[in-house]
Amino acid sequence: MSGISLEGVTKQYPGGVLAVKGVDIDIESGEFVTLVGPSGCGKTTTLRTIAGFEMPTDGAVRIDEDEVTDAPPYERDTGMVFQDFALFPHMTIYENIAYGMEAAGEYTDEEIDARVEEMLELVELPGVADRTPDQLSGGQQQRIALARALAPRPKALLLDEPLASLDKKLREQMQVELRRIQQEIGITTVFVTHNQEEALTMSDRLAVMNDGKFEQVGPPEEVYNDPDSRFVADFLGTANIFDGTVTAVDDGYATVDCEGLTLRSKSRPGVEPGADVSVIVRPERFRFDSASADGGTSTATADVNVFEGEITFKRHLGSSVELRVETPDGRELVVVRRSGMDKRSPGDRVTVAVDAEECRIVEA
Amino acid sequence: MATETSTSDDGAPETGRAGLKANAKWYILSYPLAWLVAIFLVPLGMLVVFSFWVNIPGGQYEMGFTLENYTRFLTSSLYLGQLWLTIELALVTAVVSLLLGYPMAYYLARMNRPWLRSLLLLTIISSLWVTYVIRAYAWQVILASGGVLSSVGVATGILSEPQSFYPGYWGLVVGMVYVFVPFMILTLYSSIRTIDGELLEASKNLGAGPARTFRRVTLPLSKNGIMSGTALVFILALGSYVLPRLLGSSAERTLPVLIEQQIMSESNYPFGAAMSIGLIVVVLVFLWVMIRFTNVTTASLGGSEAIATDDDDDDSVADGGSSGIGAGLAGRLWSAIGNAASSIGLTRALGRIAQAGNSLVTTVDSKTREAVIWVTFRLYVVAVMVFIAAPLGIIIAVSFTPEQFLTFPPGGFSMQWYAEFFTDPSWIGALLNSLGIAAAAALLSTTIGGVLAFALDRFDYRGAAIFGTLGVLPILVPPVIIGVAFLVFFLEMGFAGSRTSIIVAHGIFYAPFPFILITQGLSEIDRTYEEAAMNLGASPIRTIRTITYPLLRANVISGALFAFILSLNEYIIAWLLSLFLVDTIPIQIFNQLRYSYPPTIAAASVVFIGLTVVVMTAIDRMSGGIWE
Repeated sequence: MSGISLEGVTKQYPGGVLAVKGVDIDIESGEFVTLVGPSGCGKTTTLRTIAGFEMPTDGAVRIDEDEVTDAPPYERDTGMVFQDFALFPHMTIYENIAYGMEAAGEYTDEEIDARVEEMLELVELPGVADRTPDQLSGGQQQRIALARALAPRPKALLLDEPLASLDKKLREQMQVELRRIQQEIGITTVFVTHNQEEALTMSDRLAVMNDGKFEQVGPPEEVYNDPDSRFVADFLGTANIFDGTVTAVDDGYATVDCEGLTLRSKSRPGVEPGADVSVIVRPERFRFDSASADGGTSTATADVNVFEGEITFKRHLGSSVELRVETPDGRELVVVRRSGMDKRSPGDRVTVAVDAEECRIVEA
Repeated sequence: MATETSTSDDGAPETGRAGLKANAKWYILSYPLAWLVAIFLVPLGMLVVFSFWVNIPGGQYEMGFTLENYTRFLTSSLYLGQLWLTIELALVTAVVSLLLGYPMAYYLARMNRPWLRSLLLLTIISSLWVTYVIRAYAWQVILASGGVLSSVGVATGILSEPQSFYPGYWGLVVGMVYVFVPFMILTLYSSIRTIDGELLEASKNLGAGPARTFRRVTLPLSKNGIMSGTALVFILALGSYVLPRLLGSSAERTLPVLIEQQIMSESNYPFGAAMSIGLIVVVLVFLWVMIRFTNVTTASLGGSEAIATDDDDDDSVADGGSSGIGAGLAGRLWSAIGNAASSIGLTRALGRIAQAGNSLVTTVDSKTREAVIWVTFRLYVVAVMVFIAAPLGIIIAVSFTPEQFLTFPPGGFSMQWYAEFFTDPSWIGALLNSLGIAAAAALLSTTIGGVLAFALDRFDYRGAAIFGTLGVLPILVPPVIIGVAFLVFFLEMGFAGSRTSIIVAHGIFYAPFPFILITQGLSEIDRTYEEAAMNLGASPIRTIRTITYPLLRANVISGALFAFILSLNEYIIAWLLSLFLVDTIPIQIFNQLRYSYPPTIAAASVVFIGLTVVVMTAIDRMSGGIWE
């Protein structure tokens, strides 16, 4: 099998818009990499340069060690699943799936028959070969689009927000399905989405894109737990963000003055006193601290940050509960607890604590 | 519709109102129907009746029943020969238009420079509405001995002496293609544009090169456009009078020309009527074949791209009974076309050349191949664009000649022919007539088409499909037949040879344009706006006035402007109904072309083209590009 590498890929449109600003990534053979970011961040353009629909203005694209930077799309051996599936409306499902093999011209009719059959079984839709795309539901069309992309045995699978047009239930089902099929055949896959949950649940690695650049590339846990930037922390999941200035760094921990609030956080290399930073706290890192009820302002002692406040809002998220806690100085904390863990409700005065160990510092 | 059923379900006190409402929908429909049935179908019906009446030489006829007219038409080798020539010319025009138009339409649909696309479309569309008379005249200027082509030929040494390329068969074909190729381009354009770009990307992603992608995806998906465009051009070419008259020799007298001669020169109304019925039969047979064997509908020919795909099921059921006959007929039809039309052979030859070219370029790498295809394609597109734009440009150039005769290139610059145009009372009279008739006809068309569109959109009628077809039917009837039918009708009514007669005829003939545009506008209006207005207490009338009409205004006004511009440029109906008593600009230019070629004609044409372009631009502005 084969991997994909992008080297300094840059795309500037004729109007002067720089959509992609020199991205580098080596995707290993069989790896599932997700490009995630807000709309307009360049993720789709990046995917389209891999497919050959956009020619990069600078940089190189390699698929399976071969440079394909200038190759037209039909000579690249990638299988793409489009956002709206792009199933040919004038062809049957069979003809759609056989299309790529016919274009390749190196399969006999028997091989094509067998392969179409095999693909339909892979996507668990045997028996629809003679139907036309408009006779299938959205979820079925999605599976056929995947079967069609995989049928000619491409070197890489490219997925352009293929789940965006499905409803929530179907989307979750397809997330699992897609990952199962991808692992079953072990194909290198690049997946584009703006949905951070999809990015976190499906990928081996994810690349968070913003403004044409990769902000951070890494396994989902790492990117979620150790965000490199304020953007990444904010974009993936929910984050409590405290902007401030570093006053001291000792022993791997930093003390940060955030406008009247002093926080202790795990530091990172390169953070010096005087630097403007943001302290990131994931909502599920907070705990309610019933012991400390001395009624004072929040303090940073013994590497624990403590906040006093009042619950203003509560909502159930199914397996968890989200609470908003307002502190006397007007900050709002988002706290997530496992469902059924406590019975606190709006109006209750609470003490919220988080270990400095659980806090992260990023450049502001 | 929903409000109606709910009120009538409410019980006894409501039934009176609901009954009134149920009648109201018929009152509303009666207005357009009165025009379309009483003053459109009745004259056509009279034409049928007339065709069986007895002609008395010397311009008289009497009531009776004779098959003599049809016998004469169907047994004379002259008339049958000219009938076949008419069909052949229309076929050749349609096929050549398709070959020229497809690449152009493809380019327009796939290009990504909006300003250039608007410019090209506006050029194509503007030329579309300029009267056939002026456009045929432009080709006379180009093809005549001492004209543009001949002068260029002599200057470059290709021709040893000046030569005229008209009147004659090929000069006529060039003129017909020039006039009708915009219809082909616009039909194909809207069809190709609806093809999702993602499908083409998907094809390439699956390993299909440009040729395969075109053959397997683009071409099959634009099949409806190809069918509609070819049918449209075929029908328009079949009914064309002005071009065969001005560009053809006496050998190229097509059926419309013969019909006009019978009516205006021979005053043989019954025989003219019989030939008109013959022409209608050809159109109907052709339409029947199209609808029967493809999924093109009359509505799609009328310009709306609503191709009825959901009818497929019904068709397959009906197929059971008649498939034997149908298949046999189709087979015979195809072999007849294959044997008779040399144009089909031409298509094959072109296909083979393309194939050879393709196999030649597959030997080089894909990048060079794409570059070669791209350059060839662009050159082709530029050539087609020149073909469409140059003739009117040449008219503009010669209108400024200082000389007494039309010459090209003009030997200087002078405004004298414009001065002549604006000081000659007969030209000014014709201009005022044209404008007055067009304005009144536009108003009539818009009320007929608009009310019909509104009624069909808002109420459920038994036979709504028939009324809808009636709304687009007028433009499918060759104008020369409309002219003859109305002439016969108005002669009986006693007001032929008046402006009113032309206004009524144009008003009905062009009603399909406002009808189609307003239907389209109504279907795009989100009904919840109206529901919101009613929820806020607005009465139905107030809702129409404050919500529906403002949202629809662009469509209503563009519909009216289209009817205006078409009426302004119409020749044959106006000519037949004028009985030599009314002059419009197209009639005046046509008459002058018969005798001499004063450059005033060019100046008049330019004034008229300018007027047309102004109105077209207004339509485009108004509707934010209805052609998009």
